[in-house]
Amino acid sequence: MNTGKDPDRDVLIGQAIQWFRNQGWEPFPFQRKTWEAFLGGKHGLLNAPTGSGKTYALWFPILLQYLREHPGFRQKVPQGLKAVWITPLRALSQEIRQSAERITRDLEIPFTVGIRTGDTSQSERARQRQKMPDLLITTPESLQLLLATKGYAQSFRSCYAIVVDEWHELLGSKRGVQMELALSRLKTVSPSLRIWGISATIGNLDQARQVLLGPESEALQNSVLIRAQLSKKITVKSLLPEKMETFPWRGHLGLHLLEQVIPVINNSKTTLIFTNTRSQCEIWFQKILEREPGFAGEIAMHHGSIDKETRLWVEEAIRKERLKAVVCTSSLDLGVDFAPVETVIQIGGPKGVARFLQRAGRSGHRPGEESLIYFLPTHAIELVEAAALQRTVEGEGVEDRIPYINSFDVLVQYLTTLAVSDGFYPGEIFREVSDTFCFQAMTRDQWEWLLKFLVLGSQSLQTYDEYKKVEVMEDGKFKVNNRGVAMRHRFQIGTIVGDADLVVRYQKGGYIGTIEEWFISKLRKGDVFTFAGRNLEFIRIREMQVLVQKSARKTAKVPSWMGGRLTLSAQMSELLRQELYSATLPRDRQSLEIRSLAPLFERQRWESVVPGPGEFLIETFQTREGFHHLFYPFEGRFVHEAMASLLSYRISLLSPITFSLAYNDYGFELLSDRELDMQMVLDNDLFTVEYLMEDLQKSLNATEMARRKFRDIAVISGLVFTGYPNKGVKMKHLQSNSQLLFDVFRDYEPDHLLFQQAFRETFEHQLEEGRLRLALERIASQKVVWKACEKPTPFSFPIITDRLREKLSSEKLADRIRRMTRLLTRQGRR
Amino acid sequence: MTHSVEFGGENLQLHSWGALYWERESLLLLSDLHLGKITHFRKYGAAVPRRALHRNFQRLDGLCETFKPKRICFLGDLFHSHMNREWALFEQWAGQCPCELELVVGNHDIVSPLRYEAVGVLCSESLTKGPFLLTHHPLEQFEGFNLSGHVHPAVRLKGPGRQQLRLPCFYLNGRQMILPAFGAFTGSHVMEPRPGDRIFALAEDQIIPLQEPAGKMT
Repeated sequence: MNTGKDPDRDVLIGQAIQWFRNQGWEPFPFQRKTWEAFLGGKHGLLNAPTGSGKTYALWFPILLQYLREHPGFRQKVPQGLKAVWITPLRALSQEIRQSAERITRDLEIPFTVGIRTGDTSQSERARQRQKMPDLLITTPESLQLLLATKGYAQSFRSCYAIVVDEWHELLGSKRGVQMELALSRLKTVSPSLRIWGISATIGNLDQARQVLLGPESEALQNSVLIRAQLSKKITVKSLLPEKMETFPWRGHLGLHLLEQVIPVINNSKTTLIFTNTRSQCEIWFQKILEREPGFAGEIAMHHGSIDKETRLWVEEAIRKERLKAVVCTSSLDLGVDFAPVETVIQIGGPKGVARFLQRAGRSGHRPGEESLIYFLPTHAIELVEAAALQRTVEGEGVEDRIPYINSFDVLVQYLTTLAVSDGFYPGEIFREVSDTFCFQAMTRDQWEWLLKFLVLGSQSLQTYDEYKKVEVMEDGKFKVNNRGVAMRHRFQIGTIVGDADLVVRYQKGGYIGTIEEWFISKLRKGDVFTFAGRNLEFIRIREMQVLVQKSARKTAKVPSWMGGRLTLSAQMSELLRQELYSATLPRDRQSLEIRSLAPLFERQRWESVVPGPGEFLIETFQTREGFHHLFYPFEGRFVHEAMASLLSYRISLLSPITFSLAYNDYGFELLSDRELDMQMVLDNDLFTVEYLMEDLQKSLNATEMARRKFRDIAVISGLVFTGYPNKGVKMKHLQSNSQLLFDVFRDYEPDHLLFQQAFRETFEHQLEEGRLRLALERIASQKVVWKACEKPTPFSFPIITDRLREKLSSEKLADRIRRMTRLLTRQGRR
Repeated sequence: MTHSVEFGGENLQLHSWGALYWERESLLLLSDLHLGKITHFRKYGAAVPRRALHRNFQRLDGLCETFKPKRICFLGDLFHSHMNREWALFEQWAGQCPCELELVVGNHDIVSPLRYEAVGVLCSESLTKGPFLLTHHPLEQFEGFNLSGHVHPAVRLKGPGRQQLRLPCFYLNGRQMILPAFGAFTGSHVMEPRPGDRIFALAEDQIIPLQEPAGKMT
């Protein structure tokens, strides 16, 4: 500690205020509150939206704290890391660095600011290992990687602040768990650490603070929650087609409204066009250019698969007002301050209030300016969603982000990380880990189980076994000594799992981006696909690289990225139902959107009915595909997934039957090769909440949902290797299929904690048992309207055409096979 | 459990575990066991459930009991990788097995033939038995009838109500029959049948012959 005079806190804050005034600004109350709390030694969570000046709310006190402790700061800066800023998106790191450097420059603090993300070069990383920058900006994954390096404890000793930016984005994901674990370690190795989170508005802010700091921790006791409370005016406008009759019932692109988008772009300085998927982004970009070739050079595209250089260039160009429009995905959701953005267009339902508000907030980015967002529905029923969105901006309900509990896969990864670097003593780490929110309820037995798993790869020692990972040293330290194990583990760190990514390159050289393997696997030589805004002809795959050349052909396939399917939050579903029910009201009491949907509702009434608030609609009809049974709870995709699974399971108990299940945000379908006796379904009270948990649990075993969750768990916990094409590392001999692994676990170790986790996660994060129960209770109070229809109805159309399906069967395999008439043959496919 | 099929003028029994028994010769044929694969993964830190590896041996014993064959012939990919301790289990099994053992060497079989011979397994590139030519890889051109493995054949079925199934199978194409993979931790490859091909699917404890696809397209 420096012995110089400790200047008073107000004097320090005075410096910050002076700096603001020099820029011609005045600090917001939330910024001052944060400065005071930080300098008063508090931890905390700052609730502030993007573009509100939240970076200055935390960089300032971090730097002022340094000034307070080192009055001789200009002469010599003591070596070592001072503060870490965590950002979930690499794209944001430049921006955060710039705001830090702006302050250090003006206050003449000779600090170095470093960035360490997946984009950081090997040589830069090596330099950082030699000498840490004073301020480090990094991602949760890269922070884990730092914990996997020898002597990490020494590197972090001098660190006195860590800021977790966009905490709401991390909270409901396994990256959040990764962050909780890293913080639990840093609390010990960095004795004077202050922990701060920054979060946009979500429903469970108090819980967010608990998760960040630890539910029973001293840090939580000594913390504050600061709310920015900047009321920002947001206006939502729906883009409506001129003729409703031609509006498609389904289709996720929304291109029929292209004509309406052009004038919006023309009338605004810079427009951000948000799409929900990367493929949609690619197509829109191309179509806009085709429609308005004059935009060439003035519009750009931004999504996660495009290489870093291009993304940075786009971000810079937005700031410099060189672009009319940028078509983007959630890659531009966060952070970056793009003052010139005047208008935002949302294509397709954003599926969540918080996300929508955040996107709306991207326009009129300066505090106090009005935000304008256009909503472009991609199919008719989405217009109902548009109407619901209008009401959300008046502040009706923002959803929760549900934190993960007992994510053993992430814990296994973390413990291996510690074993790879300096090794760990279980006693010490158990105390730290059980103080986290995620593992607060972990039992001693589960912990012991995990330790055994790390060392033996099972729960008992067998002589012929050669399992090799973590070893227990003589003094009880858990350590990885094998270099191969350590190397493979470092490659594997990161909890966001996708398909294997392949690098796309021109045959003559030149990196374009990365693309998921399964898309490429469908291409043949000579096929043309759209990627990064270009039409590319597929030549071949060589050493995990996709070689392509430019193509002049117009029509092309567009890669679809799996990503997460978005679903409506409970609040959105509620608003959506209210809007839908207004279809039965007189015209003058309907919103513009509902009124313009009149033709669709008319058609629906002709074929079936439009349900009112007290009604639960069931439709049945037959097509060439089989017998369709549709149910419309309007509760959002996840609830429908659970309900479809539950209902089909209960029906399958009555008699052997096989179902194919499909769902969207409005309802779900049970498709079968024979007709259900719907009266029997209704008479047997199959929507009851009795035995709900039990039946749902059993239905999970009958479907494939847990199997899909297991894929991620297997990768995160190191049960399977994915290979690392980007890094030129091939481990083909160790690649296995997680499906195969799932079967082996099911048959031989069904009580394995990681196998069980797949079921638990499906339950806790996907099926939302609580919401399902409420929905079933609501249905119980409604009148069932069952319509036997002639043919598909407007409501049913988007559901029955969905190809992403679940299946459930209570029939004997041999019986099913005997009824399958069609073998997929080469001929059959053509 | 078994299904009889005539192939090459001989009567062969297909077993639902993926084995083929030729009674007249008292010969049991198995392909693609990939022993050692689980241990190989574990050795590199991927904790595949160890108990799964016993299934191979339990089933081998079960088949010996059912058919009491004089000889067992493995159609390649018997041992998945370099030596590991799972070999000891195989050695033990081979030592107490009363049958003559033969191996048609596959691409995965990199363990030295000397080691096989030390445990009484005769190795060769291919074998001729009666009308049959036994190989690991299915042959493009050959005399007589070819029995092989390597491919891990499976078949995809479609039915009304958007039903789909994928099942491992015996795959019979003219004078060629491909056996399914017998091993516990092995994947499968979906075939694209042509008219005239015959398929025998493994469905739990049954073998189900599938209709010839020719003429049954919808």
